[in-house]
Amino acid sequence: MQKSIVINGLTRYYNGFLALNNLSLRVGWNEDVALLGPNGAGKTTTLKILCGLLRPSAGTAHLAGHNVVEEREQAMSQVGAILETPEFYPFLTPDEILRYLGRLHGMSKDVLHDRTTEVLRMVGIGKWVDVKVGKFSRGMKQRLALAQALLHDPPILILDEPSLGLDPRGIIEIREILKEAGKNKTIFFASHLLTEVSQVCKKVAIITHGKLCVYDDISSLQKKYRSFENAYLKLTEGAI
Amino acid sequence: MSDFERLKVVTKYELLKQYRRRRFYGALAITVLAVVLTIGLYEGLDLPGSMGIPEQLMDQYGAEIFAIFVTSMSALAVLGAVFFAGDAIAGEFESKTGYLLFSNPVKRTTIVVGKYLACFIATATIIIVAFLMSAGALLVFYGTIPSGILGSLAIALMLGCCMISMAFAFSSVLKGGMGATIATLLAFMVVFTIVSTSLSYAGYDSWFMPDRAADTMAATYGVSFEQIMGGMIGGGQMSGMMQASQDPILGFLVLLEYAIVLFSVSIVLTKRREMI
Repeated sequence: MQKSIVINGLTRYYNGFLALNNLSLRVGWNEDVALLGPNGAGKTTTLKILCGLLRPSAGTAHLAGHNVVEEREQAMSQVGAILETPEFYPFLTPDEILRYLGRLHGMSKDVLHDRTTEVLRMVGIGKWVDVKVGKFSRGMKQRLALAQALLHDPPILILDEPSLGLDPRGIIEIREILKEAGKNKTIFFASHLLTEVSQVCKKVAIITHGKLCVYDDISSLQKKYRSFENAYLKLTEGAI
Repeated sequence: MSDFERLKVVTKYELLKQYRRRRFYGALAITVLAVVLTIGLYEGLDLPGSMGIPEQLMDQYGAEIFAIFVTSMSALAVLGAVFFAGDAIAGEFESKTGYLLFSNPVKRTTIVVGKYLACFIATATIIIVAFLMSAGALLVFYGTIPSGILGSLAIALMLGCCMISMAFAFSSVLKGGMGATIATLLAFMVVFTIVSTSLSYAGYDSWFMPDRAADTMAATYGVSFEQIMGGMIGGGQMSGMMQASQDPILGFLVLLEYAIVLFSVSIVLTKRREMI
């Protein structure tokens, strides 16, 4: 059975600047893997390529066996994603936005009716279902972003700093949702919060300057470097 | 789910976005005001008499001449189209909503076509409101609606398509929606006008220019410009310029060609554009 995420020799240049350097990574089904690294390490670039928003300069990426460039639609149907700071159409309500995106994922109107209510309650904005998103705070948008990522119950979640902009309660709630979702989904997410990473994931991929430094279990890194924080600091030393 | 089903979904929600924006109602209010003003000034100031249009012509073609004045507002189609289309694509990149939309299992072509249809429906709403008001005024003042109004409406709608395509082409390559809107307006109202006017003064027939093609909106009523304008300017070079684009079918086809070419360009550019 193929892996859920397969990244092979992924390379990306931005006007001559090498952002990703021959990155290779394999994530199994239902594995929860965090992508760590200092600012500018190539985390977001990796996630954008996986979501079909950027083309790699070289290399390939597959989601559930589908090439993200050549079979983009099939690959995207397997994914729920949060990328960068989520922005939504300010004139629409969460209900309308989720119906729009759900229909694009092929969900029927009947299924969407119940599922929309369910995910909005799950992320804690069930009372705001008919309020235009233009009035939402950053944290509420982040919650809505998680709702849209979970909406079609995808087998793979790709998340770029899912706790960004949330208050402490929000961070804890989102972490619990991800831990629950991680039981039957692959979660591949970028974060700067080591505590969050160690509570949600078992494995971690650390990249610097677009290159993979280490891809290992957090427990192994803790043994080898005495703590997860030490491991991160040691492996990214001099990276900025 | 088929591409056609997805296209219907994109069109439905993009249209909902258009109808939720204040600019739609602003454009609608401007349209109503412009039509009321045109009708009021035409009747109140007795424009045909002031322009020296022969009475015999007015007796024969009064309704048609009135229709030419009140339905030849190409600016409405232009404004409506750029209001709705300028930020249709650029806005997804500028406001970062593209991260949400483009990471779905739907082709970029489907998204662009859906957005185009939504912009067209919004623009057509504005144009049709203007024509319905004009038709109502024709019934009130003349008791008849000239059949040429349908041809004029068809050209106005095609001008709307042409302008949406132009706005999409700019929107697919420029960073911001405002830039695309201004670029479209400048291209149509300044650049094209300069080119076609210069060509006409130099003795060339500028039938292939979209602004000249849009003028044919007033040429569907079976009354020639020489007949109407002759009383005011006595023929000469200006009437020659107007005669140059008087074939409505040719005007319609010119606008159609611009619409298709520019829309195709916008699809290609949007497909290539990355969310950096």
